[in-house]
Amino acid sequence: MELYELNLWMLMEGLKAGNFSASEIFTSCKKRIDQCEDSIHALITRTDDTVPSHSDGMLAGIPTIIKDNLCTKGIRTTAASRILGNWKPPYDATAWVRLRDSGAVLMGKANMDEFAMGNTCGNSAFGPTRNPNDTSLVPGGSSGGSAAAVSAGYVPFSLGSDTGGSIRQPASFCGVYGLKPTYGMVSRYGLISYGSSLDQIGPFARTVQDLQLVMSIISGHDPMDSSSFRDKAHDFSHNENVSIKGKKIAVVKEFEGFTLDAPIADAMKRVKKILEDEGAIITEVSLPVVSKYAVACYYALAMSEAHTNLERYDGVRLGYTVKDARGIKEMFERVRSYGFGAEVKARIIAGTCLTEPARCEEYYVAATKVRTLIAQEFARAFGETDYILQPVTPSMPGKVGETDDDAMKGYEADLYTLPVNLAGLPGLSFFTGYAGNVPVGLQLIGPRWSDAGILDAGIILERHLGSPRIANGGVK
Amino acid sequence: MNLTSEEVNEIALESRLLLNEEELAGAVRYINNFLDALQCFKELDLKDVEPFSFAEAIECPLREDKVIPFPDTETILHESEHVDGSYFKVPRIMEE
Amino acid sequence: MAELTFTPVIGIEIHIRLKSDSKLFCSCSTDTDAPANTNICPICMGLPGTLPHLNHRVVEQGMLAGFAMNCGIRPKSLFFRKSYFYPDLPKGHQISQCDLPITTAGYIEVHDANGNLKKIRVHHMHLEEDVGSLHHSASDGRLEGADTSYVDYNRSGTPLAEIVSEPDVSSSAEAVEYVTTLRRRVIYSGASDVELEKGMMRFDANVSMKCSDGRWGHKVEVKNMNSFKALERAIEYEIVRQKKIMMQGGDVIQETRHWNDAKGITSSSRVKENYRKFIVEPDLPPLYISQEWIDRVAARMPEMPDVRANRYVNDWNVPREVADVLTDDKNLAEYFEACVKAGANPVRSANWVRTEVLRVLNERGQKISDFTVKPETLAGIVSRVDDGKLSTTQGKEVFDWICANGSGIDEAVKALGITEGGVAGNALADIVASVIAANPDVLEEIKSGKDKKGKKLKFLQGLVMKESKGQAKPQEVAEAIAEAVK
Repeated sequence: MELYELNLWMLMEGLKAGNFSASEIFTSCKKRIDQCEDSIHALITRTDDTVPSHSDGMLAGIPTIIKDNLCTKGIRTTAASRILGNWKPPYDATAWVRLRDSGAVLMGKANMDEFAMGNTCGNSAFGPTRNPNDTSLVPGGSSGGSAAAVSAGYVPFSLGSDTGGSIRQPASFCGVYGLKPTYGMVSRYGLISYGSSLDQIGPFARTVQDLQLVMSIISGHDPMDSSSFRDKAHDFSHNENVSIKGKKIAVVKEFEGFTLDAPIADAMKRVKKILEDEGAIITEVSLPVVSKYAVACYYALAMSEAHTNLERYDGVRLGYTVKDARGIKEMFERVRSYGFGAEVKARIIAGTCLTEPARCEEYYVAATKVRTLIAQEFARAFGETDYILQPVTPSMPGKVGETDDDAMKGYEADLYTLPVNLAGLPGLSFFTGYAGNVPVGLQLIGPRWSDAGILDAGIILERHLGSPRIANGGVK
Repeated sequence: MNLTSEEVNEIALESRLLLNEEELAGAVRYINNFLDALQCFKELDLKDVEPFSFAEAIECPLREDKVIPFPDTETILHESEHVDGSYFKVPRIMEE
Repeated sequence: MAELTFTPVIGIEIHIRLKSDSKLFCSCSTDTDAPANTNICPICMGLPGTLPHLNHRVVEQGMLAGFAMNCGIRPKSLFFRKSYFYPDLPKGHQISQCDLPITTAGYIEVHDANGNLKKIRVHHMHLEEDVGSLHHSASDGRLEGADTSYVDYNRSGTPLAEIVSEPDVSSSAEAVEYVTTLRRRVIYSGASDVELEKGMMRFDANVSMKCSDGRWGHKVEVKNMNSFKALERAIEYEIVRQKKIMMQGGDVIQETRHWNDAKGITSSSRVKENYRKFIVEPDLPPLYISQEWIDRVAARMPEMPDVRANRYVNDWNVPREVADVLTDDKNLAEYFEACVKAGANPVRSANWVRTEVLRVLNERGQKISDFTVKPETLAGIVSRVDDGKLSTTQGKEVFDWICANGSGIDEAVKALGITEGGVAGNALADIVASVIAANPDVLEEIKSGKDKKGKKLKFLQGLVMKESKGQAKPQEVAEAIAEAVK
């Protein structure tokens, strides 16, 4: 057994017991990255060129990878876009500061869909990431690199961000655990914004216990993020004796008729049975507005916010630029037209269109109201049930390079993930097993601030379903 | 109500994006599909619904009025290719 | 055919820099005079991943400024993103409260053409961030014709209050009084120093013309006025320009025009300003202001200048014109009140402050806050003149000596060799008045110009000297009589 195969908590215990050293872990992980990176391309920038000096803290000597939309001081941060060029931020994202201060060692910055817009990790200016379980398949997105890196054993855990499923969907496709925390749980300071009211940073790991460890470090109030909550201390400590006896776990009535790929439908059945065996009560909730309007509502809001978040990329202060423009307008146009990829440009134009004075009321304002209805509907549902069990995606991962001409159809695939962001809820994407070589994940969501609760439920599920193995990583 | 390619192009320019023919055709298709998908909002009675602002009542946190200079202003300037002396130099603003 | 008459309809937008040590959303200094691009940080440079963090004091400054223009405070206000591309705007949008501002409506009183008081309604005041400053390479420093521009982001993110009036202003004179009064009141409130020379107050005006034949011209937005004078001239220019077009039967085009201060004209802005509808700033939760907080800040509001001037007139009989001068500057008014508190006669103190104190400040180019003569000292001089211990001339000599040498009245009197206690000042004036009253025929002769050799004047002087029992100084007596028979 190689050190890179060990989970986070095992590495921590082994280090403490003196079974191996931090530099041995580093070397093992680095070797694994060297072995797989050509096939998987999970990283945009590698930062593992020198053996790190001794560090202190809970994660001392533990290698990690973070998504490349998290700012790292002095280390190129691209959000997978050409427009950021070789930008080296002069400051660190809070979530990364917390990991680093706990002793974590950064091995690299993970590939992603440009500005987190996409669900395949194929919209990257640096080329696509491939699924380590089967390199012909997409790893999911937008945090595809972060998920693939953990799945392939580059590092025991990583950070991603989730605006409409960008942690949960790649976790499911790559066969790892991923948590999208409650909005306000983890500081967004230093996260390059996509849809600010939807974005949330969260961890990937190969065990639920590892997610708990990471959450205990990255969660908590940060004065630099005005949407981060004060007075919300959370206990993410691990307890083997958790129980879901008597807990109500609902499926969504309106989703019942929707088609699911067979492995996903099977997994739903299997997991319901496990939960019942554990004493949970399986019920049903009705989410009519969510099931019918969430997709349109989500994209309307995400694009409206995104186009304003992307207005700052004009070539003046940082990133890609042109030096020979005859006027400022020409400079802005050339920088932005070349700097942004096709999907980003499409969403900028759509967002601009929706917030035009002539259409704002009809689309943007209407969407903010639909969002209120969606949040209310979830609040009502969580009066009737403790948690909701549902798929992460209706389909298994597609092939790399496959595109759909009608973007909206691609967006429909996000129906199971994006309502969670609209209502600011926590969602856990958990591993249920493999269909052939391809992992199958499902999702457990809860009311706001129930993050620790759904992780506890995840511990029980993991015990029954088993933890994922390290993916082959494209090694011949 | 479908948008024409002229209208979409106008919006693109407003966003400081120049589209080639192929990109423009794609953008027109994209936006019109998208606007079609948004028509569903009309089925809902939204008259008395408050626009969503935050997931729960949260007050804007306030910062004490205290100067804390950023120590690395030089590194900020260092990231721009347009820095000339201590200024950011940009081309002609008034255009014909 | 009746002659056409035109009524200007003018609304004014004012941007005022609010006073704070750090910027609106980050902890950078608001010192815009610092070397270029030194008061910057990731937040006010709009770097990717940064988030705004609202300054507590600016909210209070906004409340004070709102009170100064008789506005109410909204219990819940919101920030929005106002989008446009410009190199001085780092995020490509400005964070502004434009759609749900911190204040409700208010007003400022001005005098109309007939001298009657008139309210200019303030639609609202909101908080927003300022942009960076641009310097242009053209020889005259202007934007037109400049091949390159230089951006300094020190100003980016400094706090502004935008004050939007209703179109209640009918002339450039009203406009100037509106902004002057508003500025004075805001300074009083402590919300801002509004130093004009530092560009802390900038104006835009919406001007349209209503014609007596029922036509109402389109609204023209005139931008880029940075002084009272520029505002006045720009409005006058627009009134003339629009009137001319309408007289000739033409249509005034709805547009944005820029004021060119050097040329004294407005010209059509070629930049198409296409603001989008504002989206809610997702990075800032709503700003809630409790009644308790409003009350606490309201308690800090000082008496406003017009109220103060009225008090001087009504309680102390200070002439209106003097009261207005004294209250123009809060510190000057406070200096004056300190004199009165120290026991000096209010009317005479008012005159002394208005003439002597302001004269010295003007000569020295100082502010009242820098003035070295304590109000108690001035009060002492005024009282001694009042009591007749010093003549008016001596009082002024003493004042000037203290201004120059900085010691007390007694030292000044000694140094100047003045013998106190003679009949002088008001006591002397009283004797002169009674002597003249007793000799109306003599006064008549002097006034009619028959006293060519000044014999009658000498006669009166003799009577006054006698009446003062020889305690008055002959030269002062002569002066006092000359003054009285004028």
